[in-house]
Order: sequence, then structure tokens, then C-alpha cells
Amino acid sequence: MDGGYNNYNSFGGGGGGGGFMPGETNSPAGGKTGDRDNKTLRPVTVKQVLDASQPFPEAPFQVDGADVANVLFIGQVRNISSQSTNVTYKIDDGTGEIEVKKWVDSTTADNMDTDDGKAPGDGKSELELNGYARVFGSVKSFGNKRYIGAHSVRPLSNINELHVHLLEATAVHLFFTRGPPGGAGAPAGGAAGAGGDAVMGGADDYGAGQNKALASMGPVAKKIYSLLRTEPQDDTGLHMQVIASKLNLPATEVAKAGEELLGAGVIFSTMDEQTWAILEY
Amino acid sequence: MSLQTPRILPSHLHAFHPSSAGSHTTYTVRLLGTVTALHGSTGTLTCGNNGDVTLILKSDARLQVGKLVEVVGKVADLEGGQGYGLRVLGSTEWGDPADCDYKIYEQVVNATHRFTNIFYNVE
Repeated sequence: MDGGYNNYNSFGGGGGGGGFMPGETNSPAGGKTGDRDNKTLRPVTVKQVLDASQPFPEAPFQVDGADVANVLFIGQVRNISSQSTNVTYKIDDGTGEIEVKKWVDSTTADNMDTDDGKAPGDGKSELELNGYARVFGSVKSFGNKRYIGAHSVRPLSNINELHVHLLEATAVHLFFTRGPPGGAGAPAGGAAGAGGDAVMGGADDYGAGQNKALASMGPVAKKIYSLLRTEPQDDTGLHMQVIASKLNLPATEVAKAGEELLGAGVIFSTMDEQTWAILEY
Repeated sequence: MSLQTPRILPSHLHAFHPSSAGSHTTYTVRLLGTVTALHGSTGTLTCGNNGDVTLILKSDARLQVGKLVEVVGKVADLEGGQGYGLRVLGSTEWGDPADCDYKIYEQVVNATHRFTNIFYNVE
């Protein structure tokens, strides 16, 4: 399980390193870039999709305060309605129900959905009513209605895959609301404990942002951060030399890691450039 | 709001009974187990090492003994005060119980009720 969690660390790093904080609209190339740079595929429950927030119209949807580009979920097919251009499925995963639209592409349908040529056509014949399906697509909205623009809808036959998906969705949800397991968990506890989901309210949102920023940083930066949290100090924080001696680390490393923390806006300099305190709201 | 059907184990039945003090907005649940007995309008679902649940079946139910099934249903009182049972609304057959690692399901149930905000609404 530990190995799996480390993967989440690394993709959190991608988000943090990119410098796109949720809600930061005046990024160099405007709002649309987030969509293209954010290549994540998040395991979710249908309820999370229905609860997803949109900071402003046309903005990417957010789940747990993080932009979602593509989502992945598994549920039962409750209705299939075939039109000439698309097939609409109603998917129920026990947490909610959502419509999934899969566009019929007559040129690629044959070779994409059937690799053995057994079921010619659009592949939808493999999906049964009330059978389970694995859906991969992006969150869309039309009017007030939310739906999934599906890239792929395929039948699921192994129940363990369903259960593991639900656990994965939980693990990723906890990563975004509480931060990575161990280490930086403590500061996030406060943010997550209050409302559970960081989606609500600006303050919580920021807390989650801080954790995400921290998750992508080196071990020294994390050590400095936790020292600054726990060490008794006055309003001016701690001097770099003090931190270096307390952590038993060379001053150059502390300075480098300090730059990281300063750059991410997790800490700020007080008396002079070398005295730091945690930026808290 | 669409229908939510949280996954549970037999020990959770009381919490989803309509009379329960913990007022969930939903009383429809999902239960996974092996069909171990069928007697006309009732059946027995064995949920791993977590005990049995009596199923109250519809006339058109097509369950088979020895198969793993996921049932969606409402918690109901059994006749003669024999505790709680499940009135089956629908079921999905998953084949051989040996193909399912029931421990994973137990963890899913655990996660469902610990982190409810991604699984179901609690009033």
C-alpha cells in the first residue's frame, strides 16, 4: 500500500510544480490552459462528480479543491438510449446517478472497441442493462445538467476491480483533503476536520493548497516546515542558522529548501531575509 | 437527488432500518454475499465471515444457490420478530464467490462509512 501512496505524492508534485493554484485566474495564458496542462485521470465516485464545484462558468470543475480534467468511475448501467450520433447511458454506482454520453464515431468504432472482430459495430452491444461498466471521460455541463463526455465505456466483469476502484477514489479524496499520508498530515487535519471536503469555503481551500505545495517539496523543506510549526517561537519566527543547528543540517541546504518554501508562499521572511515564519490564515 | 445505496455488512442493518435513530436520508442499501439457501419467498445470504442475512424475495427473483450476488434492497423487519432482513429490489450476479476477495469489500464498507461525504448523504 505504501508504494501506491508514493505515486500520489509524485502526481501531487506535478500540480504543485506547475504553479497553478486552484482559483488563480490570472495565470499567464488565461483559464483555458489548465484544461490542457492538467492531464490527470482521477478515480471518483458519481457523488463526487455531482458535488463538483465550478468556480465560475466555463471553468474546469473542481473536486476536493483540485481541478479535474478526466474522471474514472465504475457503476451499473441503468438505461441505454441509442441515438444516431451518440449513446447515452445512465450510470449508478450506489453513490449517485449520472448520464454518460459516448459519441458514435463511425470511422474508429470498429477498430477501437473490438480487437478481435467478434462484435462488429459500436461495441455497445457488450454493455448490458444493469451490468457494470467502467467509464472514463470528462465532466461536462449543459444548462444545469451535469453529464460525462465519455472517451470510453466498457463492461466490467471482475468485482474486485469495482471494490479497488472505490478504495482508490477514497485514497485520492483523502490525499486532496488531508495531504499525503504521514509527515504533512498534521496541518491538513485542521482543514479537513472542519468540513471534510476542502471544496467548501476559501480558507479550507487555501489549507489544501498549502499541503499540496508542501507535498511536492524535498525532505529538507518538509523538515523545516514541521520545525517551524512545532518549535516555540515569537512572531518573528526562526532564523535560518537556528533552524540549521536544530535540524543538524548544513546552512546551505537549509537556505535552498527555504527558498522552495518561500517560493511556494508556505512561509514568509520576517525581520530579515533569513528569518522565517509560517504563513497562516 | 438521485438514489444512493451505500454498501453495508450485516452488522450495519440496524443503522439503516427506518426506525433507526441515526436518520439517514436513504434506507436502501447494497449487500454482497453468497446465496446459501432458498426457501420460496426467502433466501439466505452469507456475507463472508460477517454472518447471514435473510432476504425477502420478489416473485420474479432469479437467484441461484452458491453464486455470489450483490443485492440492492431495503432493511425490513422479519416476520415473528426474528430481527432484520433485506427486502430485495434488485440483484446482480457475480458468479463464483471464489473470484471475489471479500476482504476488499469489507474495506470498501469501512471506507464508505468513515468517509461518507464521497459515498452518501448523512442528514
